[in-house]
Amino acid sequence: MASRPTVTVIGADGKATGATEVLPKVFSAPIRPDIVKHVHTGMAKNKRQPYAVSEKAGHQTSAESWGTGRAVARIPRVSGGGTHRAGQAAFGNMCRAGRMFAPTKVWRKWHVKINQGQKRFATASALAASAVAPLLMARGHQVATVPEVPLVVDSSAVAGEALAKTASALGLLRAVGAGPDVEKVKKSKKLRAGKGKMRGRRYRQRRGPLVVYSPEADGKELVKGFRNIPGVETCPVDALNLLQLAPGGHLGRFIIWTSAAIKQLDSVYESKKGFFLPSNVVAQADLSRLINSTEVQSVLRAPKGDARTKRGAVQKKNPLRNKQVLLRLNPYASAFQKEKLGEVKAEEGKPKPVPAAFKEQLHEV
Amino acid sequence: MSNVSADLIWEITRSQNAYLVKRKTGGAPQLSRDPLNLTNVHSRKFAGFVNDKALGIVPGEKGGIQVISKKPASANKPAAGLYTVTYGANKSTRKTYKAVANQVAKNSYRPDLRQAAVARASAIRRAQSLRIKPEPERKLRGAAARKAAAAKQ
Repeated sequence: MASRPTVTVIGADGKATGATEVLPKVFSAPIRPDIVKHVHTGMAKNKRQPYAVSEKAGHQTSAESWGTGRAVARIPRVSGGGTHRAGQAAFGNMCRAGRMFAPTKVWRKWHVKINQGQKRFATASALAASAVAPLLMARGHQVATVPEVPLVVDSSAVAGEALAKTASALGLLRAVGAGPDVEKVKKSKKLRAGKGKMRGRRYRQRRGPLVVYSPEADGKELVKGFRNIPGVETCPVDALNLLQLAPGGHLGRFIIWTSAAIKQLDSVYESKKGFFLPSNVVAQADLSRLINSTEVQSVLRAPKGDARTKRGAVQKKNPLRNKQVLLRLNPYASAFQKEKLGEVKAEEGKPKPVPAAFKEQLHEV
Repeated sequence: MSNVSADLIWEITRSQNAYLVKRKTGGAPQLSRDPLNLTNVHSRKFAGFVNDKALGIVPGEKGGIQVISKKPASANKPAAGLYTVTYGANKSTRKTYKAVANQVAKNSYRPDLRQAAVARASAIRRAQSLRIKPEPERKLRGAAARKAAAAKQ
């Protein structure tokens, strides 16, 4: 690569400051939705808390089977009398007030180990995808007003106390074109369908932009500014999290970088011991360019047969209406038309009477 | 960037994206809400957000149509990435279609989209010429209705 691609730094007013940052190497990592999906599935499971039904549920009765000979099923039945419960079937998963099938246990395997290399690959992949505008749109982010993707905001607009207040943080988001995305999140808040409502997951809403900052250069005050804006999340650049970079396992989170964070990103990856950024298997991802390249075209066999079009079920044309078809069938038609022979009247008058002498000769006996 | 192409983006997003509408009725067609999709069909050819060059045709504000096209040079600059041309309501339909066809296919922008572009332009112009009964105002329900009633009093 002759020159590394750069990205413009946007100021607090939403205009380009004129400064540029070299795009970190991680943005040219291969985009692998399969790996991201797999790692995300595992990672999403690692925050779960164990749950189970009571060990005793469905077994708090002294039911015994009646055995055969009583014309009822051999399922255990509640003993005793004097109550409706007596004689009812118990224990089985098919029984009312019985135990469930395979009662859930707290020692279920709740967590999933994911290889660190895979996790890092997935994170790199998600970061690379966050620099592709079509993927952001496909994720549903409203980025039509964003000046550039990836969006890099000058650290001077962010650092220290500049964004300690929500109003100023929101002002910055609007200035850099992230307003519609925040607005979309605000409007998207809906009551969750199902029982999640009563389990602390009452509402569901979209995700907005993710603000990635450098804790050393930008400070942590901006976290306070952003934390009450719905959908907006913040993340320090040295602790990037796949659950935030690819929510739901879908690539293309809209990320707002501070210039200090994007400057730091290369060193963040260099500091990871034994990890090399994954490289692309093919240098050219554009299929049509590959197919039409001289390297490919020059080794292709020439097509066999003549260049002719097979006309399958074509409609039969009416030569009386379609002039081209008429001419194909009757080349004289053009001359006929040009001379206007069709309009020429027959020679004038009646045919002359035959001379009497001729008639006589004809009828001679 | 070299690691990204329209082909790759399509493979990533073809099964799931924000524009995709899957219906279970009527043969379960896969449709698209992409504004840059001329036929509203979810396909590689018409997917506007995928292709470097894509077209959208929408009704103009004062009648007529607007043709939106993507600038391939500013693929990563969404705010500056679209180019809009308006063909007003006073331009005859034939001239409008001719202009649309030329814009789409001349200069080899997307010759494969010419037919679809003209068809969409035509559908919009035809819809504009029809006298359509205005939709009745939506009745407010629930909290919004109560608020409106309170405001009226």
